[in-house]
Amino acid sequence: MIKQNYIKKIEVYFIIIFLLLPLLFDDIVYNHIMVIAGIYAIAALGLSLFLGYAGQISIGHAAFFGIGGYSMAILSTRFGLPSALSLLAAGLISGLLAFIVGKPILKLREYFLALATIGLVQIFQVFATELTDLTGGVSGIYGIPWFSIFGFEFDTSLKQFYLVWFILYILFVYSRHLIHSKYGKASLAVAFNEDTSKTIGIDPSQVKLNFFVLSAVYAGIGGGLFVSVLTSVSPESFGLNMSVIFVMMVIIGGMGSLFGTITGAVLLTWIINWLGEYQAYSLPFFGIILILFLVFLPEGIFRGIGLRWFDFVRTYADENWRKEIDK
Amino acid sequence: MPFEIFVQLAISGLTTGAIYSLIALGFITIYRASNILNLAQGEFVMLGALCAVFFIEKLGFSYFPAAVTSIFLVSMAGLFLQRAVIHPIRDEPVLILIMVTIGLSIFMSGSAGILFGPSPRSLPPFIDAPSFEIFNSVRINTQSFFVIGATLLLVIILYMVSRYTFIGKAMEAVSTDRLGSDLTGIPGNFIVMLSFGISAGIGAIAGIFITPLFFTQYNSGAILGLKGFSAAVIGGWGKYSGAVLGGLILGVVESVSVGFIPAGYKDAIAFIVLLLILYFKPKGILGSRALEESRK
Repeated sequence: MIKQNYIKKIEVYFIIIFLLLPLLFDDIVYNHIMVIAGIYAIAALGLSLFLGYAGQISIGHAAFFGIGGYSMAILSTRFGLPSALSLLAAGLISGLLAFIVGKPILKLREYFLALATIGLVQIFQVFATELTDLTGGVSGIYGIPWFSIFGFEFDTSLKQFYLVWFILYILFVYSRHLIHSKYGKASLAVAFNEDTSKTIGIDPSQVKLNFFVLSAVYAGIGGGLFVSVLTSVSPESFGLNMSVIFVMMVIIGGMGSLFGTITGAVLLTWIINWLGEYQAYSLPFFGIILILFLVFLPEGIFRGIGLRWFDFVRTYADENWRKEIDK
Repeated sequence: MPFEIFVQLAISGLTTGAIYSLIALGFITIYRASNILNLAQGEFVMLGALCAVFFIEKLGFSYFPAAVTSIFLVSMAGLFLQRAVIHPIRDEPVLILIMVTIGLSIFMSGSAGILFGPSPRSLPPFIDAPSFEIFNSVRINTQSFFVIGATLLLVIILYMVSRYTFIGKAMEAVSTDRLGSDLTGIPGNFIVMLSFGISAGIGAIAGIFITPLFFTQYNSGAILGLKGFSAAVIGGWGKYSGAVLGGLILGVVESVSVGFIPAGYKDAIAFIVLLLILYFKPKGILGSRALEESRK
């Protein structure tokens, strides 16, 4: 086998431009939103592997996001653990919990899997509110220290921007290697047809569990970064709406496209931020935007717009152009 | 726990359970006709209740016309939403369908918050009668009889309709084999639309019956819908009898649990019961062909 090098030249240019963007804008609001977008993108990236590659359904990743967040908050405030270690632990704890609940839940399919994962979010939210001694109840935990490595504190939005997007890039590269490896291909086989995948020696339940745990680890890391950026944590940040937002990021980006997921995360974070200005009207508008995306571009923005454009051209283009395209 | 308190909790649980059953019936009516799961079902309950409150308080309707108008309007909303949103994407993957119904649910609860205001509302009881007393200290609200009675009546009607009428059989046929039913001349799209209308109507009925007992707010639909769906799965997905049994069991378990654990955990009970049932008895209590097929 030839070992492929997936980092392409165009990607390097893209990264350089992207890293220069916050310096050009140098606006605290812009930087903060991009930090949040990056964090959501980390969680959505994991979910993208589970939804797009293992072909399963989860509307419960806000629970793992929250478990990561609370682990980070409790470990770094109560036990005074260094934040890099807490972040690692946040990912591992949420992965471990996903392993425990994943075994029975992943036997389900479609609607019932969706319901069971929604149940996880509801159960998590009740426990986060009620275990007052551990989680601080409704008001949550305050005064979580900034993320720091070897005494270097990430205390401004600009520093956090580079931190979050660096972690996101590492996870992105890892995910890309994963989906091009034999595990990624096995997962696609499972998503296509579980029964056929068994005949070529793949264990579907194992593949699904692996991807579920991996996506929970991503969500846990995202949650840990989320609370260290906001320096506080409370149960209402991790409700069903958050889960729906993660799933929408994957759908808007296009199922099975990792780069698309990150684009979807950035786009949706900006939309949510923009909707926040409309106060009471933001909720119905958010619903309408979700419905419009799903009805008109269910394949995601890139593939969806591409397909629509192709249809448009085929319908209205003149004879020569049509022949050109049909070639 | 003293016996009286247990009975008291169990009876109030039966009442809540009857509401869960009604919501579960709504889920199953749509599923039996179209194999679609409509997660916005709980919002129909909320809409039905708030519309009725609006007609009585703002427009000065008396009770019965307000209830009928509200049920009619919510059914129309169900028909319209199916036509406008669900119909164009009916062939998309399950995940897209689920997300669309969640989007609908967010849209409906948000709009209701703007239209009817954010404060919790309630209705007067159906008849102005004092509550009963049994075993010296156990009190039963008269409204409970209406709720449980309505649930039993509706499940009997739905069963009769699905068993003995053309429309019921057509619904079954459309969900079993779309092409086959199209070939026999059954208007498939109309049947699916009708099922959404009926299901929205059932939701509105549940809303109107529950509001004299509990406050209803623009955002109380989502959790009711999820619990109704859980009830349908617990009882045995796809069966009317399963929906009623699951709803009643869920209501009683949830209500009695307050006697053993702190009341704050009550909302988690439904989902813990659901996960346990899915794990140990995945077909539900009465068994379900649909769930068996969906699990390997």
